[in-house]
Amino acid sequence: MRRDDGYADIRDYAVVGDGRTAALVASDGAIDWLCLPDIDSPSIFAAVLDANRGGSLTLQPTIPFSTKRRYLPHTNVLETTFVTELGTVRVIDAMTLPDDRLGPMRELARSIEGVSGTVPMRWRFSPRFEYGTVAGRLEWRAGVPTATYGSAAAALRSWDAGAPRWTDGAAAADFEVAAGGRALLVLASALAEPLVLPGRDAVERRIQLTIDFWKGWTAGREYDGPWRDVVLRSALALKLLIFAPSGATAAAATTSLPEEIGGIRNWDYRFCWIRDSSFLIGALLQLGCRPEAQALFWWFMQATALTEPRLQVLYRLDGGPNAVERDIPTLSGYRGSRPVRIGNGALEQLQLDIYGDLLETAWLYGRGGHTIDKDTGAVLGRVADLVCDIWRRPDCGIWEVRSAPQHFTQSKVMCWVALDRAVRLAEERDVPARHIERWRREAAAIREFVETRCWSERRGSYTRAAGSEDLDASLLMLSTMGYGDPAGPRMQGTIDAIMKDLRHDAFVFRYLSDDGLPGSEGCFLNCSFWLVAALARAGRLADASNLMNDLVARANDVGLYAEEIDPKSGAFLGNFPQALVHLSLIDAALAIADAGRTPAERLESKRPS
Amino acid sequence: MTVLWSSLAGGFLGTLALSTLLRSASEVGFTRMDLPFLLGTTVTDNRRRAKVYGYLFHFALGLGFAVLYGVSFAAIGRSNGWLGALVGALHALFTSTVLVNVILPVIHRRIGTPETAAHEIALIEPPGFLMLNYGRNTFLVTLISHMVYGAIVGWAVRV
Repeated sequence: MRRDDGYADIRDYAVVGDGRTAALVASDGAIDWLCLPDIDSPSIFAAVLDANRGGSLTLQPTIPFSTKRRYLPHTNVLETTFVTELGTVRVIDAMTLPDDRLGPMRELARSIEGVSGTVPMRWRFSPRFEYGTVAGRLEWRAGVPTATYGSAAAALRSWDAGAPRWTDGAAAADFEVAAGGRALLVLASALAEPLVLPGRDAVERRIQLTIDFWKGWTAGREYDGPWRDVVLRSALALKLLIFAPSGATAAAATTSLPEEIGGIRNWDYRFCWIRDSSFLIGALLQLGCRPEAQALFWWFMQATALTEPRLQVLYRLDGGPNAVERDIPTLSGYRGSRPVRIGNGALEQLQLDIYGDLLETAWLYGRGGHTIDKDTGAVLGRVADLVCDIWRRPDCGIWEVRSAPQHFTQSKVMCWVALDRAVRLAEERDVPARHIERWRREAAAIREFVETRCWSERRGSYTRAAGSEDLDASLLMLSTMGYGDPAGPRMQGTIDAIMKDLRHDAFVFRYLSDDGLPGSEGCFLNCSFWLVAALARAGRLADASNLMNDLVARANDVGLYAEEIDPKSGAFLGNFPQALVHLSLIDAALAIADAGRTPAERLESKRPS
Repeated sequence: MTVLWSSLAGGFLGTLALSTLLRSASEVGFTRMDLPFLLGTTVTDNRRRAKVYGYLFHFALGLGFAVLYGVSFAAIGRSNGWLGALVGALHALFTSTVLVNVILPVIHRRIGTPETAAHEIALIEPPGFLMLNYGRNTFLVTLISHMVYGAIVGWAVRV
């Protein structure tokens, strides 16, 4: 692979993780992104956001090489094979899972194996704490290069991988690997506790434990339809983004990978969005991840307890309150894309669609065979009451526009979803039914509003907002949410209009109108998968399958997607890997496999009678 | 015996006041912390039943701590509301930094800890330092409610 000014293409990254944090590994063997101890903690490696100051852990041959990569089958353990003129070396990267013995708080293992010949290798450990702002104290602990800053510490222990030395703020060593030879690097870290320096046997045991866990987890997934490997890879990527200590799911593993190279659309996605909840719970339940679905639903109900019935757009993964957006001026940004932001300013926006997402989540949770207890039902009832009060207001919509609020069609439809699901849940006695007549009345009023104010006779399509003639890819979600007839003339017309105006090759732009921010962006890949699902649910299965095949071929070499793609160059843009893209992929595959059924219909059909 | 009975009486009244304050703070949106829920979910994942078990457990703990307060006050030979409030403040500090934040997640299989990884499922988010994950005002609520508890126990104990 080639680096420009030290930056790899986003497409060149794979991700490894342990359910608490995740590292980006470039195909040249560099770990350019890692936050410790958690995925939303400050980084120790951020070369992806500043190639000079961000910090990284590199491992590669010292002579020209090419690489082949894959995940070990049905795992989140990465295998990179370096091919050189002198021989071949294989590297296994794993964020190990803890066993019942004493081990580091977090452990990233890099196991090196000589396949053929003798290959000269070099590793370089350049830690930078607090998003590249602090080098920390670089010292030796028991002969191991160790960096410390405040209550944080990280050590790079090695076996048969050369004699390390500190030079220019980095520990590095050269070594050779002959055929059959093995070496091992392990990054051990701690926060507010003593550093544990693991033994070689213990690390190798945990690598095997980690491989075994991932294989077992994948074997438990319930999906035998088309694109099975692709769906399973997406499920594995999602599992990496589930923050195990709370059950919440990060929207992506990174912050500030840009939507436009050199642009300002750089956001922190290491939060859990209510918006993703219905897709998340639907995917988890349909793939047989019941414990994860239960943990996620419990987390949503806990996280929203402080503000309910009002909801925040997003929540911190640990449920904590502080998500204030700020810039990190010391990082130059991916290929100069400033600012690098942490926190997220969308927190305080009014986005009406999230109320529909929460009720749809509860509805799917029930369809998945789970019980909604009375306290939760009461909260959901209060949310429905609130929707009756506020659905007439303009909002910032699903895309979190920073221009003036509008009456976005998708927001109104999701308000209808909220009230429709509240009525259904009340009919099943999961939600108090005192206000059911009001919910029915207001749901009908919303439908009337959408059908009259958000429909363009000229375009033959629903529109982006009431009174507008613009289109919006979020309209493709209407059939997934069970609004209207998915194969009826209005939805067919909307699909056709979006394909005509917003589609470029296999990709779909979100919209073409103003959103209050300067600059441009790529095509959001989730929109392409929404189009697949909408086509399938409209009965156009051949079109859906063709587009799906096209999109699957656009994943990177290990089956992952960033948030966006440049429709001209095919380069990935935005945060990586992104949960919503992989969730939308799963929904699209299931929509085709089930000839267009919605997630709720599919779950309903699997319920024991 | 006077110390024991007066401690239990103070513990009963103090726990009533403590539970009422915590619940009220939760209802008005000061905190998401729910101690009975956290305690009850050690034995069940049924949310409603968990709260009932949790209140019983919390009352038992309230009586137990009151006896410890009483024994301590008897040992130093004095007891009053101010002294009780001071011990209650220490109690709140211990609860927020060690008891709920460190010890409870270890014995509670449904609470996440910083060590919970991908091969485990946590149904309840970790409380965090001073239980701040449950809301910015959580420690303040804990401190005030435990000081009230301590003041009542300190007032009730006869040494």
